[in-house]
Amino acid sequence: MLKLIQNEWMKLWSKKATWIMAVLLIVILLANAGITKWIESTSPAPEMDWQEMEMMNLASAEDQLQNPDIGPAQQDYYEGQAAIAEYRLANDAEPFKVESLQQQVLDGHMMLSLVTLFTVIVGAGIVASEFSQGTIKMLLTRPVKRWKILTSKYITTMLFALLFAILTFVSIALFSWIFFGVGDGAFLVWNGSEVVEGSYWAEALKLSVLSLASTWMIGTFAFMLGTVFRSSSLAIGVSIFLMFVGVQLVFLLQRFEIVKYYLFTHTDLTQFYTGFMPIPDITMAMSLIVLTVYFLVFMVISYWTFSKRDVTA
Amino acid sequence: MSNEKIVEIRKLSKTIGKKQIIKNLNLDLHKGEITGFLGPNGAGKTTTIRMMVGLMKPTQGDILIGGKSIRTDFEGSIEKVGVIVENPEMYKFMSGYKNLVHFARMHKGVTKARIDEVIQQVGMQNRIKEKVGSYSLGMRQRLGLAQALLNNPEFLILDEPTNGLDPAGIREFRMYLRKVARENDVAIFVSSHLLSEIELLCDRIAIIQNGELIDIKNVNEHQQSRYYIEAKPAEQAKQVLEEIGFTVHPHENGYLIDTEPEHIPGAIKLLTAAGVDLYAVQPHRTTLEDQFLEMTGGGEIAQAHTK
Ligand SMILES: Nc1ncnc2c1ncn2[C@@H]1O[C@H](COP(=O)(O)OP(=O)(O)OP(=O)(O)O)[C@@H](O)[C@H]1O
Ligand SMILES: [Mg+2]
Repeated sequence: MLKLIQNEWMKLWSKKATWIMAVLLIVILLANAGITKWIESTSPAPEMDWQEMEMMNLASAEDQLQNPDIGPAQQDYYEGQAAIAEYRLANDAEPFKVESLQQQVLDGHMMLSLVTLFTVIVGAGIVASEFSQGTIKMLLTRPVKRWKILTSKYITTMLFALLFAILTFVSIALFSWIFFGVGDGAFLVWNGSEVVEGSYWAEALKLSVLSLASTWMIGTFAFMLGTVFRSSSLAIGVSIFLMFVGVQLVFLLQRFEIVKYYLFTHTDLTQFYTGFMPIPDITMAMSLIVLTVYFLVFMVISYWTFSKRDVTA
Repeated sequence: MSNEKIVEIRKLSKTIGKKQIIKNLNLDLHKGEITGFLGPNGAGKTTTIRMMVGLMKPTQGDILIGGKSIRTDFEGSIEKVGVIVENPEMYKFMSGYKNLVHFARMHKGVTKARIDEVIQQVGMQNRIKEKVGSYSLGMRQRLGLAQALLNNPEFLILDEPTNGLDPAGIREFRMYLRKVARENDVAIFVSSHLLSEIELLCDRIAIIQNGELIDIKNVNEHQQSRYYIEAKPAEQAKQVLEEIGFTVHPHENGYLIDTEPEHIPGAIKLLTAAGVDLYAVQPHRTTLEDQFLEMTGGGEIAQAHTK
């Protein structure tokens, strides 16, 4: 199996497109850091100091806590936010500025949608391209069972996603270090009973692992479409369309019970830690179960069609 | 040539939709023997070959390679098989060498030395580091052959392998196949449209039409020795030949006689003595094409030639 993965990895990186994606990712992140820097240096000094900002945060968190519609995860989140804001004001503990290495790393998980995009392209093409190039017949007439070949391709897609996620974080850290440097401030967390200092690296890691769940699901979906329809453009098109429209549908379906079983209600696992939940009464456990069921369905469909298909390409 | 069976095709059938494409096909292939697989377009050659290498699943029947079933023990049965199905498609964005490394990794025990050895065998050493996208069709065919030989196969399956090779390439390819068949005792199964090529290459020919195996025959089976004689005046020549005691069949502009070579000089003397002018005296062999046309019906092969 290791050799099969090695093969897929070699093919992936022998394609120019893969290198272009890597360069593109880095250029986008560089541009993003550059633009943030430019805006900072051209806009006038903020009218509010951080104390005023924290007071606003505190007010809005308390406001939210009055809202009867919020779910338990949001309840925890806003309680934490309120406690942290109070603590900052009481102890004169400044938060990170946006233009700092720390805050950029903390927000880095939002950039992982780029990784999702590239993973969709790779996952959709990794099986489909073998069919369109005609190489599938060379691949399947070896003493290797079909399911093993498909597994190696799936693992390669996921390794690609992981590598690009790491690349994203390294680039963000590097560029924000160059442009902004390490800023003052403390990272605080609410552990349920008191506010303590935490590691922003650990927090960034947690949030990005949670965001990668969405990369994983959409990537798997694209992989399935590519395997079933043997057309990477179709698979890429449908997956990217769903990636944008699928989330919007959550709002349309909001009033119906079925929304709780809908994939895109659950793809964003960071929602349990960022306070923004379109459907407030879901829980992390529920999301994990729903995602696992979807994953298994996607996998069964992929393996079934790939193993049974008569190859005439 | 040992006569050990290596491949057994048993009651093989394939139905796609309502159409039965392969009908109850039975065939054995032996070590060291080259078997040609001949048939008009759409006869089912490619379909049969695709089933033999696991690309398609038989509707009924089975294929045993080295005694192992392709249905129940795919990895075991395909282990010692080398395959070229139609044009060998390679990864164009990688070098020929990387392509071979890629396929070598999918077999057990193919070493780097073995890769270099096959590259030498197909004469690709000078271009092997270049991208396959820059290769000519013939070079791709050579690379295709190289990948099929990587695992030291005991059985080679080739579907129209000489597509795109120049005459020298075809000849070299033929020599090479004969060599592996003889020296390594490899069984070879080749499908082709080129009758003359099959005739030169194969020991045995299986003919398929409309999904049915209609004949299996050995090439160079002892043929009745025949001579073609063209002479003028033709009537007089015929008379002389009949007087000697030959049975005379008109053929093209002359006659065919069934006889052994030792009787020919005498016949020529008699013909010249009788004042007949000889234009041609030559051994006559029925070509495979004649036999093939006879068996499959002219219309069908005419169709095959125009396609
Ligand atoms: N996927 C398919 N669906 C339906 N019919 C098919 C399919 N594949 C092949 N056929 C039919 O099966 C028959 C045999 O096709 P096959 O490709 O095996 O012929 P062949 O002997 O290799 O012909 P050629 O000499 O042209 O290469 C043809 O009539 C073809 O139309
Ligand atoms: Mg064919």
